Amino acid sequence: MAAPCRKMASRSFSRLLCYFSSTAVGSGACRRFSVTPIDRATPLGSTAADRATSPWSLMAAVCLQRLPVISADCSPIEQRFKQMLQQMELEKSLVSDHELRLLEDAEKMSRRQAADYDSDEEDRGDQEIMMTQDLEDTWEQRLKNFHPAPRVRGQWRRGLVKVRKSLGVKSTRTSPVSLPYSCLADVDEDLSSAQRCLADSLVLLAEQQVGAEKLWLLPQAAWQEGETLRQTAERALDSVTAAGVKATFLGNAPCGVYKYKLPKAARTEGSVGRKVFFFKAILADGAPGSAPTAPLLWVKKSELQEYLKPAYMTKVDRFILNL
Amino acid sequence: MNHILRKLQVTFPQQASILNLSLCRATPSIQHPMWSTASINERQYRDMPTHGIGRWRHLLPKQASKKKKVKNQVKDLVSATDTAYGTLNVKVSGYDMTVVEHYSQYIHNLCNRLNIKVAESYALPTKSTEVLLMQEQGNKTFVDAVLKTHQRVVQLSSLNASLCPVFMDVILKNQPEGVQLSVQEHTEADYLLRFKARPELDGLIAQIYQ
Repeated sequence: MAAPCRKMASRSFSRLLCYFSSTAVGSGACRRFSVTPIDRATPLGSTAADRATSPWSLMAAVCLQRLPVISADCSPIEQRFKQMLQQMELEKSLVSDHELRLLEDAEKMSRRQAADYDSDEEDRGDQEIMMTQDLEDTWEQRLKNFHPAPRVRGQWRRGLVKVRKSLGVKSTRTSPVSLPYSCLADVDEDLSSAQRCLADSLVLLAEQQVGAEKLWLLPQAAWQEGETLRQTAERALDSVTAAGVKATFLGNAPCGVYKYKLPKAARTEGSVGRKVFFFKAILADGAPGSAPTAPLLWVKKSELQEYLKPAYMTKVDRFILNL
Repeated sequence: MNHILRKLQVTFPQQASILNLSLCRATPSIQHPMWSTASINERQYRDMPTHGIGRWRHLLPKQASKKKKVKNQVKDLVSATDTAYGTLNVKVSGYDMTVVEHYSQYIHNLCNRLNIKVAESYALPTKSTEVLLMQEQGNKTFVDAVLKTHQRVVQLSSLNASLCPVFMDVILKNQPEGVQLSVQEHTEADYLLRFKARPELDGLIAQIYQ
C-alpha cells in the first residue's frame, strides 16, 4: 500500500488547511473542498554553479484523481451478508419510543372496543391530536415524495435513424425515412467526462507530445530553474486542463518516479534521459469554464492498461490505489 | 534431611534379617558427617544443591508500581520541521455516531500500522441542531427533527511529509458517506475548546478586574 517515495526534491514547505466532505452530491460530481495555505516559504534558489550537472533532466507529472461520488454497489456475497447482519440487529434490538407508543395505542383501541369498556375509568390525560399511526403515515408519505438523484447521469443525445417505413396498406413500396430520436446515453461510456462512473475513482490522462510521437500519459511538464517540483506539477495541470479546474495537491513529496532513457539518436553529452516525478492531487468541485486545451480522458485503474505504455504502466500502477 | 534419615532407618531393619544383629545395632549410631555439624534450625548455605528450592515469587510477572500516574498530561505542541508536519488534528464529524466512531477508529488503526505517532484521540461535545419547519396552514414553525453532530478528533504528533500524500489518499478513498473529514493544525484554541466554561470563575475574575 505504501507508495515508493524515492527523492524529495522540493525544498519549500507549505502548511495547508484542508477540508474534505462527502455529503450530498449537489450540483457537481465532486466532493466539496477548500484549501487555505497558511504559510508558503519561498523556495531557496541554488546557484547553477553549485549543483553538479547531471545527464538526467527532471520532469514533474500530476496524478489528478476524481474520488467516487456515490457508494459502490455490493457484490452478491456482500448483499447477503448485509441482509444477515441487518436481520441480526433487528432481532437483537430493543423497541423504540415510537414503537412503544404504537403498541400502547393499539392496546387502547382494543380496550375501547371491548364490551365492558367504561370511559370514566380510563385515565385520559392529554388527548393526543395525532395518533401515532397517523404520524407514521405522514412520514411514509414524505418518504414517497422524496426522489433521489439518478445514479447514472445521462446526457440526452439526438440523432437520426433510418427506418424502412411502409406507406399505406396497399402500397408495397417502402422507402427509407429518417426519424429523429433522443435517448439517454450512458455517461459511463463517455471517457472525456468527469461525471462518468460515479462509484469509482478516476485518473486524468492527457495526450502529450513526447519526442516524436503522441502518447497518452499523466500530464507532465519539464522542471525549470527556481521552482519546486510541486510547482512544476501544478503548471503541468494548468497547461492541460481548463482554467476553472481546481485541484488540491496532497503534499510536497512525490509518490512515484519513472525514468527513461532517450532513444540513441537523441542522446547527447548533456542529456541521457528523463526522470518523471509523480504528484498526487484530488479534483475539487469546480465547473470547468472553457474547453481543455489537449484531449483528456478520465479512466478507471482497470482501463489504464489500454492507454499507457507497459513500462510506464508498471510504475504508475504502484501508487494508484484502487479503493 | 529427616526423611532421608527415616529411609535409612527403614531399610536397615529389612536388612537385619539378612545381616547379623550386631550390624543392626551399630547403624543408628552412624550419622552423615554433614548432618552432625548442622542442626535443624540453621539455614543451609548457598552451596547446598537445594538452596532456594521453594522460591516462586521471582517467577511472577513484574507488577506496575502503585504510584498514581498523573492523568491528562498536557502534551507539548510539536512544531513543524522541514521534513515533517507538526501536531495535526484529523477531525471526523457527522450525524451518524456509529459511522463517525468507526471511521475515527479506522484512522487510528491506520496510523498505528503506518507507525505514525498518535498523540491523543478524543471526542468533542456533540452539537444538537433543531430543524424547524413552517406549518403548511399557518405561520408558526414546529420542530421537525433534531440532528446531532458528533465529532471525533485523532491528534497526530508528527506526520512525515513523504508519508502524508499516501496517508491522505487512503483516508480520503475510505471516507464513508455522510462523514466530513478535516485535517488542521493543532492550536491552543483547539485545546481550550475541550474544556467546559466555568461561569462562576469568569464572574469572579470580571469582578476583580472591574
